[in-house]
Amino acid sequence: MSKHWQSFGELNNTEAYQKSLQNEFKEELPFEADGALMDTQTPRRDFLKYLGFTTAAAALAASCEVPVKKSIPFANRPEDIVPGVANYYATTYVQDGDAVSVVAKVRDGRPIKIEGNDLSPITGGGTSARVQASVLDLYDGARLRFPTIAGNEATFEAIDKELATAIGGNVVILSSTINSPSSLEVIKQFLAKYPNSKHVQYDAISYSGILAANKICYGKQAIPSYKFDNAKAIVSIGADFLGTWISPVEYARAYAKGKKLNAKNPVMSRHIAFETVASLTGSNADERFLHRPSETSAVVLGLLNAINGTAPNLTDKKLNVGIEKAAKALKAANGNALVVCGSNDMNVQIVVNAINEAIGANGKTIDFGTVNNTRQAVDSDFTALLDSKVDTLILLNSNPAYTWAENKKVENWVKGIKTTISFNAKADETSMLCKYQIPLHHYLESWGDAEIATNHFSFLQPTINPLFKTRQWQDSLLKWTGSVVDYLGTLKTFWSAKLGITNSWDKVLQDGVWTPIPTMVSGSPATFSAAGVEAAKTALAAAPVSKNIELQLYQKVAIGAGEGTSNPWLMEMPDPVTRATWDNYLIVSPAMAKDLLKIDLANNGQADAYEVHPKKKVVEITAGGKTVKLPVLIIPGTHPNTVGIAVGYGRHKNVGRAVIDEDKSVGANAFQFATVTNGAVNFTVADVKLSLTSDLYPVGLTQTHNIYNTDQGNRTEVMKELTLAELKHNPNEVLEDREKELAPYGGLEKFRQDGSIYKAYDKPGIKWGMSIDLNACNGCGACVVACSAENNVSVVGKAEVLRFHDMQWLRIDRYYSGEDADNPKVVFQPLMCQHCDNAPCENVCPVAATNHSSEGLNQMTYNRCIGTRYCANNCPYKVRRFNWADYMQADSFANNSSDLNDAVQYMNEDLTRMVLNPDVTVRSRGVIEKCSFCVQRLQEGKLKAKKASRPLETGGESKNWDLKVACQQSCPTEAIVFGNVNDSKSAVSAHREENANRLFYSLEQLHIMPNVSYMAKVRNIEEEEHKAKEA
Amino acid sequence: MSLKYESQLREPLVYGNKTYHQVTEDIIRPIEAKPSKLWYIGFYISVALLLFGVYSIYRDVTYGIGQWNLNKTIGWGWDITNFVWWVGIGHAGTLISAILLLFRQGWRTGVNRAAEAMTIFAVMCAGQFPIWHMGRVWMAFFVMPYPNSRGPLWVNFNSPLLWDVFAISTYFTVSLLFWYSGLIPDLATVRDRAKTKLRKHLYGISSFGWTGSTKHWQRHESLSLVLAGLSTPLVLSVHTIVSFDFATSVIPGWHTTIFPPYFVAGAVFSGFAMVQSLMVVVRKVFGMEDYITMGHIEAMNKVIVLTGSIVGIAYLTELFMGWYSQSKYEGYTFWYSRANLFSPYGWSYWGMMACNVVSPQIFWSRKMRRNLYVTFFMSVLVNIGMWFERFVIIVTSLYRDYLPSSWSVYYSPSVWEIGFYAGSFGLFFTCFFLFAKYMPVIAVAEIKYVLKISGESYKDDMSAIENKEAGEFAHEFAH
Repeated sequence: MSKHWQSFGELNNTEAYQKSLQNEFKEELPFEADGALMDTQTPRRDFLKYLGFTTAAAALAASCEVPVKKSIPFANRPEDIVPGVANYYATTYVQDGDAVSVVAKVRDGRPIKIEGNDLSPITGGGTSARVQASVLDLYDGARLRFPTIAGNEATFEAIDKELATAIGGNVVILSSTINSPSSLEVIKQFLAKYPNSKHVQYDAISYSGILAANKICYGKQAIPSYKFDNAKAIVSIGADFLGTWISPVEYARAYAKGKKLNAKNPVMSRHIAFETVASLTGSNADERFLHRPSETSAVVLGLLNAINGTAPNLTDKKLNVGIEKAAKALKAANGNALVVCGSNDMNVQIVVNAINEAIGANGKTIDFGTVNNTRQAVDSDFTALLDSKVDTLILLNSNPAYTWAENKKVENWVKGIKTTISFNAKADETSMLCKYQIPLHHYLESWGDAEIATNHFSFLQPTINPLFKTRQWQDSLLKWTGSVVDYLGTLKTFWSAKLGITNSWDKVLQDGVWTPIPTMVSGSPATFSAAGVEAAKTALAAAPVSKNIELQLYQKVAIGAGEGTSNPWLMEMPDPVTRATWDNYLIVSPAMAKDLLKIDLANNGQADAYEVHPKKKVVEITAGGKTVKLPVLIIPGTHPNTVGIAVGYGRHKNVGRAVIDEDKSVGANAFQFATVTNGAVNFTVADVKLSLTSDLYPVGLTQTHNIYNTDQGNRTEVMKELTLAELKHNPNEVLEDREKELAPYGGLEKFRQDGSIYKAYDKPGIKWGMSIDLNACNGCGACVVACSAENNVSVVGKAEVLRFHDMQWLRIDRYYSGEDADNPKVVFQPLMCQHCDNAPCENVCPVAATNHSSEGLNQMTYNRCIGTRYCANNCPYKVRRFNWADYMQADSFANNSSDLNDAVQYMNEDLTRMVLNPDVTVRSRGVIEKCSFCVQRLQEGKLKAKKASRPLETGGESKNWDLKVACQQSCPTEAIVFGNVNDSKSAVSAHREENANRLFYSLEQLHIMPNVSYMAKVRNIEEEEHKAKEA
Repeated sequence: MSLKYESQLREPLVYGNKTYHQVTEDIIRPIEAKPSKLWYIGFYISVALLLFGVYSIYRDVTYGIGQWNLNKTIGWGWDITNFVWWVGIGHAGTLISAILLLFRQGWRTGVNRAAEAMTIFAVMCAGQFPIWHMGRVWMAFFVMPYPNSRGPLWVNFNSPLLWDVFAISTYFTVSLLFWYSGLIPDLATVRDRAKTKLRKHLYGISSFGWTGSTKHWQRHESLSLVLAGLSTPLVLSVHTIVSFDFATSVIPGWHTTIFPPYFVAGAVFSGFAMVQSLMVVVRKVFGMEDYITMGHIEAMNKVIVLTGSIVGIAYLTELFMGWYSQSKYEGYTFWYSRANLFSPYGWSYWGMMACNVVSPQIFWSRKMRRNLYVTFFMSVLVNIGMWFERFVIIVTSLYRDYLPSSWSVYYSPSVWEIGFYAGSFGLFFTCFFLFAKYMPVIAVAEIKYVLKISGESYKDDMSAIENKEAGEFAHEFAH
């Protein structure tokens, strides 16, 4: 056998070979156990581990991990839920005494939008900003999630058991006004069970002056129905009835009826306002006169005397003129006149009653047959309570430790009570002092009813299962009464008795409202007793007029007495009067600003500096030994010696994250400045000291410039306003104006064709259009919130508003005009995307992300948008909004919005996001968005008509609305009309036709062909004045 | 007896009686030597700025454009101001290379290389702004008209922003080709002088095998001429199209037919000023006073005073039209937002006026034109002024437009906006320092071409010959 060898060494088997054979693997393998290698920083195995790990990590990181959002489908579809189709349930918005009939839109079991209930004879489908925003309160993270005993979680059973013995002695139920008949029944049963118990009503904003005066004059401690629609002449003295006074939605609606006019019959009501600080109502008045708060007595007395033929003799000559005018208008109206006053002084209200008697308003515009039930509390009841001995306090939707003038006293009083029970949704300032906290359902989770005005019933039904461990207070009281029937049972029994056999419970529940006597007109006027008038007159004549700077506390439209402070939508809604968001501030007049702040708004340089810098000067306000520091806003329409502070701020952090900004509670509690005189709360202070500090504080204004005329020419194309006298004198004034503006481009007739080098094309089919009556719009802002709710518009927080990054698609521009810079005329102009036929935004987009639909919509394609912002620059209306940051946490970059304001974080919590409308895309960072004319509603409406095999109907002759856009739906005054303008029978076409002589398009001369028309604002200013001007 | 017309007044284009070899030595030596300390300091500062810019952009891309202080009324601010500013600067290079080449302006050779490089870097900087100012930059490719499966969905050919995309990319491409084709013979020279293999290899590749044959030269000359012909309309078109971004809009202060010529003049103005700023430094640092002469500086100062006056007339025309048109919106923009010194942005308008219109008038004086310090100071001032001009056009038009309700709060940039701008300087100077170190800053071949047409050297070289008698020639010839 031959030998096989690999080398000569092997063949010869030399010594060297032997040696080399032994040393063949001389180098130690790394996994040899001698440890040297394993001790190195990265041994081989670790190296492999690291390699694997880093590769995997790099691969993960590089694959752009998108945050995962989970959604769970129904395992079993509930019977009445069709995915993608909304259910609507009629219910009632209830907040303290306020009650507004609404319809809740429910998608997949979640209420997401509140609409007005068209069937309501009171509000007729109108809402307010607060009603619109109330759905967000349902998903408020600050709501109490379970009942507690002394701060520890407890079960309802445990509480019921403990309270069965703990309730005793003098029992007091302290509630805000309750106008629910069934609830009053429940309370009655409870009071019957506990002998020493009573029910005391307490309202944060007191109307006890009116109640007391009416008791004296008419023998009825009630607020009558005010019929602004019947009034040809209206005088308001410090009553902000369009914004906050008693029942603003109802009044705004009625008021607008008197203000609307058409070409054939140019008649409208005349409204003269006397006020101390600028309010929404004063801003809408035909004429406004300013007075000091302490002059209120003199003004009402002067007015009464003027009506009786004595010339007023006030030191302020302007006021004398105003009173003369008011008296003349009231007398001329022949009974169709109304005087309302916001004072809480009984004597003032008695004199106001006397005035209303003198002008014959009683029975015509004032109806005591149908009384308003929303405010019934009397201050003296509460002051008496504070001094009485109470053993058990049941607190129900009232918060006196925050809203009462002497809040420290209330605090001590509550602390001194043995058993304190709070029914409240949140652990607010008073509830947090209570031992037993029993959280309440939100109204959208509740059963109930309300008698808003006599014989005007409205019903509540739950629209969602309770989110938390909450219970209706009626159920608790029934339990403690020992009733075996729960509240729903009680409610049904109560109503089946009342409804009789002709009306079914299901039917009224479905309608949401029930009015047994269908008309609001009632019989003869209430009998007036003049007995108290002389005494009141004497008291008022003796009332001193202050010589110092005075303070007026007022409510903001969105915030109210503080309920809105915890709602981000309301906080971010620009106040109609000041255009500020998120903040509390001191309002001063331009005249006072000159002295106090050294800012003269008549000086362009100083005015500019004030406007363009959000940081405002801070003033220290001292009154009655209390001091607060607030930034100052200069608001014309405010008396030169009066300053105003809104109540509702300085809340405790328990009520919600929106009340906190940069770890501090926003603003200060202005209720502390109120005083209690003669047992009634007085929201004015006759003597305040103001001292300018060196501090600056940023205030988020969404509009900085307020005058549309400039030294370089009056911008009449932006806004048109005229007086009724001018309109009567020349009905075509607005048309002539337009003709003049368009003359260089072919004139009104040929403008569409001659204004362009391109051919004008027919636009057949549907063409969406909107028409807004500036006479009806009072600027209340309901549409702004409705739009945000409907279209998932981001809340950006104060820090971003300060940077002018607000996102609202719809804004209400507020302009001042007229000669008097201290007391200007005010006009509100709702402004959204105008959906121009020749949209300047469309042709500049490099990627065609915004374009025109065949139905005349200017559409925005979010996922095509690359965010050059050229369209926003080129929009003459500046209605396009850019997503500066990831406000909605909707883009694929994780954790990139943590720097944003807490409001944004809050709105992005899972709970809060339940309010989002699933029909509308949430926009990601870096894209432009804007008003879409609620395109999702348009599609739905078109489908509705298609399914019914008929043409689309948008009001008008058919009276049928296949769709209403969100702003239109929410508007209490029906100022916004929307529909198909190619349909000559639609409401919008009719609106344009009826008001053709007032119609204008903003910035029409640019030939961008906007599709939103406006009806010029007409002010009812006296004929003589017009003639004097002409001459 | 002169063979060529010689002006007694004309200055030589190159000082110091250089020979061809000397020219090569002077210009290429810095490339072969180690960079100076100054170079390192400058380079590192530039890189640091660049990195700051990169971080600023990172913030902008990750957190959104809200990192900048733009707002719902002012959609463009520093971003587009800087874009237009850099594009403007990027005009001088091509103007010098192309238009002056076509007009046979021999003096251009001293500065054209650096000016062209500057153009390319400036356009690179300019390009950053429209890209990173997008809200969704990761979708930026949407601006390219490419066949796609979305319909297909095309870009919007009506949009001036799209025209920008084409204009800038074309301009950049042509400028780059022009610059590089001019570089080829010089890179070959560097290659031929190279002492290390790596150098030889790299410069060999980048000079595309240039041998200097007549055929090469002939083709090179033709290519230069063709590219010059192509670039010439681009010089006018780029800024014209940039001006369309504004001129085709409806915003008062933007919607102006005067913009195209006014923008082009402004661009040349700022471009020349930037060339001046760089040249004054480069000639000093690299010791190239003989090539970039006082004559160059004076010539460019003349262009500056001319174009400065053109923009001045444009400003006054705008003001006049603001009044004459009787348009209240334009009237407000021009007479209040701009011309009123006490309005919020009045300072920027008068800053612009002072820097662009008033101060360049100093160059009517020859003494000032030939003063290096004045020249440098003025060149910086002009670029500040031109930055103001763009800021004025963009911001003062936007912040108060048609509806007074949307008039804006005061806009001032955030640190990341400034960072982005600083970063563009970083990019520009990083590129410029690398260029100055690795490439001939003066066109060697072209300098040689003009070396002998200047009066001085011609006289010196020819005097001996001219003085010879005819007999002497015959004698020499016989030998």
